Amino acid sequence: MNNHASASTALLQGTLDVLILKVLALEPLHGLGISRRIAQVTGNTFQVKPGSLFPALHRMEEAGWLSSNWGESENTRRAKFYRLTKAGTRQLKQETDQWVRISAAMASALEMS
Amino acid sequence: MWHRLRALWRNLTHKQIVEDDLAQELHSYQTMLADEKSRAGTDPGAALRAARLEMEGMEQIKENVRDVRLGVSIETFFAELRQSWRGLSRNKGLSILCSAMLALGIGATTVVVSIFYAALVQPLPFRDSDRLVEVHESRLSSGIDKAAFSEANFWDVRAQSRAFQDVAAFHYDEANLTGYGLAEKVTDRSVTANFFRTLGVSPVLGRDFSSTDDQNGFDNRVVILGNQFWRSRFGADPDIIGKTLRLNDRACVVVGVLPPGEPWINDQVYQPFGYRAGADRASWEFTVIGRLAPGVSLQAAQADLKEVSARLDKAYPGTDKGIGFSFTPAGNWVAGDNTRRAFWVLVGAVSFLLLIACLNMANLLLARGTARQREIAVRIALGAGRARLIRFVMMESLLLSIFGTLLGLALAYAALRGLQALEVQGIPRLADAGLNPWVLGFSVLIAILTGVLSGIAPALQTPAKDTANTMRDADHQTGSRERGRLQGLLVTAEVAVSFLLLVGAGLLIRSFTELMNVNLGFQTDNRLVFSVSMPKSYYRNGAGSQFEDRLLQRLSAIPQVVAAGAVSSRPIEGPDPGMSIVAIPATHSGTPGPPPWAGWRFVSPGYFHAVGLPLLRGRAFDEHDKPVEADRGQAAPPRRVVISQRLAQLLFGTDDAAGKHVDLWGNGNFDAEVIGVVADSRERGPAAGPTLTVYLPYGRNADVSEFVLHTRGNPLAVAHTVRAIVAELDSNLPVTGLRSFEEVVHRSLSAQRFNVILLTAFGGLALLLAVTGIYGVLAYAMNRRAAEIGLRVALGASRTNVLGIVLRQGMRPALVGMLLGAVGASWLSRYLETLLFGIKPFDVFTYVTVAALLMATALLACVLPGCRAMRIDPAGALRME
Repeated sequence: MNNHASASTALLQGTLDVLILKVLALEPLHGLGISRRIAQVTGNTFQVKPGSLFPALHRMEEAGWLSSNWGESENTRRAKFYRLTKAGTRQLKQETDQWVRISAAMASALEMS
Repeated sequence: MWHRLRALWRNLTHKQIVEDDLAQELHSYQTMLADEKSRAGTDPGAALRAARLEMEGMEQIKENVRDVRLGVSIETFFAELRQSWRGLSRNKGLSILCSAMLALGIGATTVVVSIFYAALVQPLPFRDSDRLVEVHESRLSSGIDKAAFSEANFWDVRAQSRAFQDVAAFHYDEANLTGYGLAEKVTDRSVTANFFRTLGVSPVLGRDFSSTDDQNGFDNRVVILGNQFWRSRFGADPDIIGKTLRLNDRACVVVGVLPPGEPWINDQVYQPFGYRAGADRASWEFTVIGRLAPGVSLQAAQADLKEVSARLDKAYPGTDKGIGFSFTPAGNWVAGDNTRRAFWVLVGAVSFLLLIACLNMANLLLARGTARQREIAVRIALGAGRARLIRFVMMESLLLSIFGTLLGLALAYAALRGLQALEVQGIPRLADAGLNPWVLGFSVLIAILTGVLSGIAPALQTPAKDTANTMRDADHQTGSRERGRLQGLLVTAEVAVSFLLLVGAGLLIRSFTELMNVNLGFQTDNRLVFSVSMPKSYYRNGAGSQFEDRLLQRLSAIPQVVAAGAVSSRPIEGPDPGMSIVAIPATHSGTPGPPPWAGWRFVSPGYFHAVGLPLLRGRAFDEHDKPVEADRGQAAPPRRVVISQRLAQLLFGTDDAAGKHVDLWGNGNFDAEVIGVVADSRERGPAAGPTLTVYLPYGRNADVSEFVLHTRGNPLAVAHTVRAIVAELDSNLPVTGLRSFEEVVHRSLSAQRFNVILLTAFGGLALLLAVTGIYGVLAYAMNRRAAEIGLRVALGASRTNVLGIVLRQGMRPALVGMLLGAVGASWLSRYLETLLFGIKPFDVFTYVTVAALLMATALLACVLPGCRAMRIDPAGALRME
C-alpha cells in the first residue's frame, strides 16, 4: 500500500531514480546518506522520505543497477551501503540523456508560449 | 535479467533472510536519524521518538518495499490462497454448503450445455453441410407443408432441377437379418447410389456405392453397414468387407462401413436403389436431400424448383395437382424448431438456477458474520490496500467456485451417463453429449463468472477507510445496516428468479398433466402391442395374410386375451401414411374447402375391439370385407371402408356416413363404400390433435405388421406366450417392439417429460436455495438485532410482537421478490407458449400455486430465527451490548 504515493511523488518516480543513480555515481552511500545528499544537491527541493526511498533502492537493486553491502558509517554505525553497478552507470547515462532531451524540449515549449 | 532471476529466487526461497536484512537496514536508518537529531542537541530519548515519528511507521515502509519486490504477486497470491484456504476450512459447514450449492448449479448447467451442444451446436458429420437441404413435397392448398416425396417425383426433380450439385433420396424400410444366430429385424435404408456423396461422407472401410450398384431398381445385392451396427453386431470386424449377409432371404455382399454420426447415417444397413420405369407417383415415401451447387442460394433453389413443380402440376394433374416444394436446411435436421425452443428454455432455466446459486453464495458469504469484518479491518490497519482486500475476498469465492466446479463436473458426468444409460427418448444426439473441450471450456468460464459474481457483493463490503469504526463495530454485534440491506436485496433477487423458474416448471407440469389426460381415443390399459414384420416375398400370393389370419387366431385363443387385432401402422409410434379423400357425390353437407387429408390404415376385423375404439355408426369389418382379386371379366368386388368421426363430419356433415361412398386418393379411381364410423383417435400421439383416419380391411397384398392384444391383467404377462406362438408359426420372423400400449404413450412423451423433470428439479433446487438464503439473512439480522429485541421485551413487547418483527424482516424481501418475479414471469412465459399444451402462458392457477409455495417456503425459513428471537432473554441480550 502506497500511503506516500500521492500525486506529486508519483510524478517524481522517474526523477527519484535518476537522483539516486546520480548521487551514488560519486560514492557509495547508505539510505540516510542518499536522502541527505539528494536534499543537498537539489537545494532542499526534494525531501525523500524512507517510505519512497527504500522501495526505490530495493527495486533498483533487483534490477541490477545497484549493489549493496553492509559496512560501517562515518559515525561507526552498521549501515547498508549502496553502490552503482556497471548496469547502473549505463542506466544513469541513458536517463541523463533522456532528461536533457526532455528538459530542453520542455524549456523550448514553455518559452514559446 | 540474471540479476532479476537471482533476486526473484532469493525473494521466494530465502524470505527470512531478505526480511531480516530489510529490518536491520531500517533499524540502522532509524538509529542514524536519531543520532543526527541528538547531535543537533535533542536528548537521546526524544531524538529516537522524533526519528520514529519522522519515518511514519516502520511496518508501512516494509510493506512498501515488499510491494515492489520481484515475485511479490506470486508470493502474495499463494499467501492469500493459503489464507483463503485456512479461512474456508475454519468455516467447514459454510464452505461445504457453498460448494455444494455451486456444484448443483454448475453441474446442472454443464448437463444442459453438453446436451445443448450435442443437439444444436455440434456440426453435422457432413462436408460443407451449409449447402445441404432436405427437400419436401408440399400441397399448400391442402395445408400440407412438408411431406415426403413420391418416387417418380423424385426422379423428375433430380432430372429437371438446376440448382443442385446432387440430389439423393432414401426410403426407410426394415429387413430380417438371418443366418447370424437369432433372426433379427434391422433398419434398412434404400438409398440412391449418390446418397453418401451428396451428404459428403465417405465410408471408413471399403467403398461407397458406385453408379453400377443401382442398375436393377431395388434389387441390388450390396450393402453398406452403419458404424454402430458394425461395432455392436460384428464386433468392428475389420475383415467384414466382402462377407455375405442374408437380408430378407437374399444374399448381400458388404462393400463398406460408414463413419459414426447422426443424422441419416446411423441406421443399420443401407442398400442402393436405382431408377425404374413406372415408378409410383401417388405414394409419398421418400426422403430427399439435395446439395446446392456452389454459389446457389436457397432462394434461387426455391425459384428453380418452382419451375419444376409447375411442369409436374401440368403433366400429372391426377397426382401432382397443386404440388410445390419446401426445404429444411441442414441446420434443422437434428433438432427442429420446437426442440430448439425447448433447449433454449432449459438453458434459460439453468442460468436462472446458477444465478440463484451465486446470489445465495454471495448472501452466505455476506452473512458470514462479524469475525471477517474485523479481520479485514486488521488487515487495513496493517497496511493492506483496497485492491488487495478485494482480491482477498474474491479469492475465497473463486476457491469455492473451483471446488464447486470440480464437484459439479463430476455430478454432470454422472448425470449424463445416467441419461444415456436410460436412453431417454426425444433428445437428439444424446449419445454424443459429453464433457468435450467446448463444454469444459464453458464450465470453466462459468466457474470464474460465478466466483466473481458471488464475490462482488462481499468485496464491495470491504471498508475503504474508517478502520477504527469498523474495528469498533466489529466488536459489537451491531454490524452495518448497509450490509443487512444488501442481503435483503440479494434475497429479493433470489426469490424473484426462483419465482420465474417455478412458474416455468409449473406451466410445463400443468401442460404435461393435460397431455397425460388427453383422450387418445384408444384404450391404453391392458393392451400389448408388438410387431411381426415379414419380408416382401411373404406377401406374394396372399401368404402373408394367411399367416396373419393364423397368428390372430392363435393369439385370440390365449386364455388371458380378450381381443386380438392387427393394423398396418402402429398407433402413435408408427408412420402415418395418408391420402386425400373425397365424398361421392361431392355433397354440400360436408365442410367446404380442399378435400381432407386422412391417414389410412389396414386393419383386421377385430382391431377396433382390441384397441378400444368404439363403433359409432354402421358396422365394423367382418371376414367378408377382405379385398379379393376380381376374377377375369367380372366387376371388381365392392371396396369397403370405416372412417373416423371427424372425417365423417368433414365429408358428410350431420348426415349418417354409413352407406355413403367416398373416392379414395381423390383421383376418381377408387370408389369405396363407408360401412361404419368409429370414434376419433390421436394417431400421432397426445400432443397432436385428433387425426382423420380411413380404415381399410387387410387381406391379399394389404399388409399388417402391428398386433394389438387386449388382455386381462398385466399385458406383459402374455409376452412369452406371444413369442412362442410366433416362433412356432415361423421361426424366421422376429417379434419386435413388444411393449404395453401405456409404454408406447409414455415413450411418445419422453421429450416433454425430460423438460418437465429437469425444470422441476431446477425449481426444487431454487426453492431449497431460497430457503437457505432467507434463513441466512434472518439469522444474521436477528443476531444483529438481538439487543434491540431484548430491549423491546424488557419494555413489555409480547412474543407475538417479537415474532412480528422477525416476520417483517424476513418476509419483506421475499414479498417484493415474488412481486417482481410475477411481473417477470408474465413477461417471460410467452416464450414458453409453443411448448405448452392446453393452458395459456398466464395460467392463474400456476401463478397462485407458485406464490403460495414460495410464501410457505419463506415462512418456513422464518421459523427457526423467529423461535430463537422469541426466546431472547432481555437481561442477557442487554448485557451483551
